[in-house]
Amino acid sequence: MNLRRHLPHYLMIAPFMILFAAFFLYPILSGLYYSFHAWNGVKTPEFIGLANYQKIATSRDFATAMRNLLTYVAITVPLGILVALGLALLVDNFTGRWANFFRNAYFLPVVLPAFLAATIWRWIYAPNFGLLNMMLGWFGIPSVNFLNDTGTMLYALVAVDVWVSAGFNMVIILAGLKNIPVELYEAARLDGASKRQQIVHITIPMLGPVLFFVVTYGLISAMQVFDKPWLLTGSSFTTYGGRRNALLFPVMDMMGRAFGGVRFGEAAAYGFILTLSIVALTAALFALRQWRGWR
Amino acid sequence: MSIPPFPTILKWVLALSIAVIALFPIWWMINVVFALPGEPVSLNPRLWPTSIPAGIDKIRLILTETDYLRAYGVSLLYALLTIAGVLIVGSLAAFEFALFDFPCRKLLFGVVMLSLMVPTAVTIIPTYLLTSNLGWLNTMQGLVVPGLASAFGLFMLMQFMRAIPADMIEAARLDGASHFQIYWHVALPLCRNALITLAILTFMQTWGNYMWPLIVSSRPEMYTVGQVVGLFNSPLSHQTVDMVMTANLLAAIPPLLFFLIFQRKIVEGIAMSGTKG
Repeated sequence: MNLRRHLPHYLMIAPFMILFAAFFLYPILSGLYYSFHAWNGVKTPEFIGLANYQKIATSRDFATAMRNLLTYVAITVPLGILVALGLALLVDNFTGRWANFFRNAYFLPVVLPAFLAATIWRWIYAPNFGLLNMMLGWFGIPSVNFLNDTGTMLYALVAVDVWVSAGFNMVIILAGLKNIPVELYEAARLDGASKRQQIVHITIPMLGPVLFFVVTYGLISAMQVFDKPWLLTGSSFTTYGGRRNALLFPVMDMMGRAFGGVRFGEAAAYGFILTLSIVALTAALFALRQWRGWR
Repeated sequence: MSIPPFPTILKWVLALSIAVIALFPIWWMINVVFALPGEPVSLNPRLWPTSIPAGIDKIRLILTETDYLRAYGVSLLYALLTIAGVLIVGSLAAFEFALFDFPCRKLLFGVVMLSLMVPTAVTIIPTYLLTSNLGWLNTMQGLVVPGLASAFGLFMLMQFMRAIPADMIEAARLDGASHFQIYWHVALPLCRNALITLAILTFMQTWGNYMWPLIVSSRPEMYTVGQVVGLFNSPLSHQTVDMVMTANLLAAIPPLLFFLIFQRKIVEGIAMSGTKG
C-alpha cells in the first residue's frame, strides 16, 4: 500500500469520517454498552445484563406505546400514500402555471417545521372556540375536545400527519410519473384502453418502485413519530402522552425514561428494541415485495 | 404526460377545494395575528386579516417583550453553521468517494451508506450522553457538530460529482493543480446547483429540528425557535392566543420565504431523494 500516494485522499475524507465515527459509530456501540447497564447519568454504570430489556418488555407504557404505534402506522401510512397518489394524478391533469400552483399549494404544509404543524393544529382542534369546533357548530354539532377525547386523539394526529406528508409523497410520485414512457400510453390508447384502465394497468404498475420507496420511507418515519404527538398533547418530560396515554408513542416513552426518569441505560435499550421492530417491519415489506414480484 | 380521468369541471372543483384545505391553516394563522387583540378566536372564522397595524404591534411586542428574538438568533446561527459544516465536510468526502480510488474506499463508503438505514431513535440517547461528556450541553457546538456528518448530503453530492468528466480532472492535474486545487477550482464550481439544493434542504431540516435542541439546550438562553414555540403553545403557558400565533407565524416565515424563492430546487431535491434512492 502506497501511503504517500493515497494520503491526499485520506486527508480529504478525514473530517467527514472522523465526525461520522464519533457521532454515529461510537454512539451505537456505547448505546449497546449502556443498554446492559443501570445508569442514572451520575454514578458508575452498573452491569445488569438483560434487565433493562426485560423491564421495558414487561412495562405497561411500552405495551400502550406499541399498540398506539401499530394502529397509527396501519392507518396513516396507507392513507397518506393513497392521498398523495390521488394528488399526484390530479396535479398531472393540469399543465403549466396551474400545475405549478396546485403542486406548490399541496406542498406548502411540508415546508413548515413539524413543530409548527402541531402547534397550529392544536388551535384548530381547540374545544369550544377552536376553528374546527366552530365549523361543526354551524351544523349544530356539539363541541368535541379532539385532543383530549381518547376516541378522537389518534385520528386527530393522523389528520395532521396526512396534511403534512401527503405533499411530500406527492412530489416524489410526480417525479415518478414523469419517468413513465409516453409510448406505453399511446399503445394502450390504440388498443382502446379507457383512461381508468390506463391508470390501473400502466400508471400504478410503472410507479411500483417509487410507491415502494414512499411506503418504506413513510413507515420508517412514522415508527419514530415524536414532535407532533408530543406537542399536540402539550407534553413535557414530566407528563407526556396525553389523556390515558392515548397519544403515547415509543420515542416519547424512550425520551421520558431518559430525561424524566433519568434512566439512561433503559432508554438506550429502548432505542434498540424500537430499531429492531423497525427493521423487522421493513424486512417484512421487502419480503412481501419479493413474494409479490413488485420490481 | 397528461391523462385526464376526471371530467374538467370536477377536476377544477377538486383541485381548488384541496388547495383550500392545504392552505387554510396557514392562512388562518396569519389572520389571527393580523386581527385586533382580545377578539376570541371563535367570534369570526378569520377568513381575512382585519387589522394590519394590530399584527405589526403584536410582532413588535413579541420581539421586544419576550426572549423570542434571542431564540431566533440561536436558531439562525444553528442553521447557518450546520449548513456550512455539512457542505464543507460533505463535499470534501464526496469529491474523493466519487472520483478517486484508494484502499478501503468501498468499505468506508458502504458503512456510511448503511447509516442511512439506521433510525435516529437508536443513536439519539447515546449521542446526547457523548455530547454531555464533552461538556457541550447548552453550547452551539453541542447543537451543531453531532449533525455534520450527513450521509444523505454525501450521497446527494456524490451523484453530481460522478458526472464530472475524468478528462477535466486530468487536464487540471497536467496544468499543475494540486489535489486540493482541483477540488476547489474544478469540482466545487461544477456542483454549484447541488450545493445550493443541499444548503436549502439542510436549512429546512435544521430550522425544523425539535427533538435534538429539546434535550441539548435545556437553558432558556440557548432555546431554539422550536422550543419557544412549543412553550408558548403548552397548556401551562400564560400567553394569549394572539401572542402564540404571532410566535408561530414568525417561526414559519424563514421556511416559507425560502420556499417562495427556491421552490423549484426544493421540489427537485425532494423528488431526487425519492426516485434515485
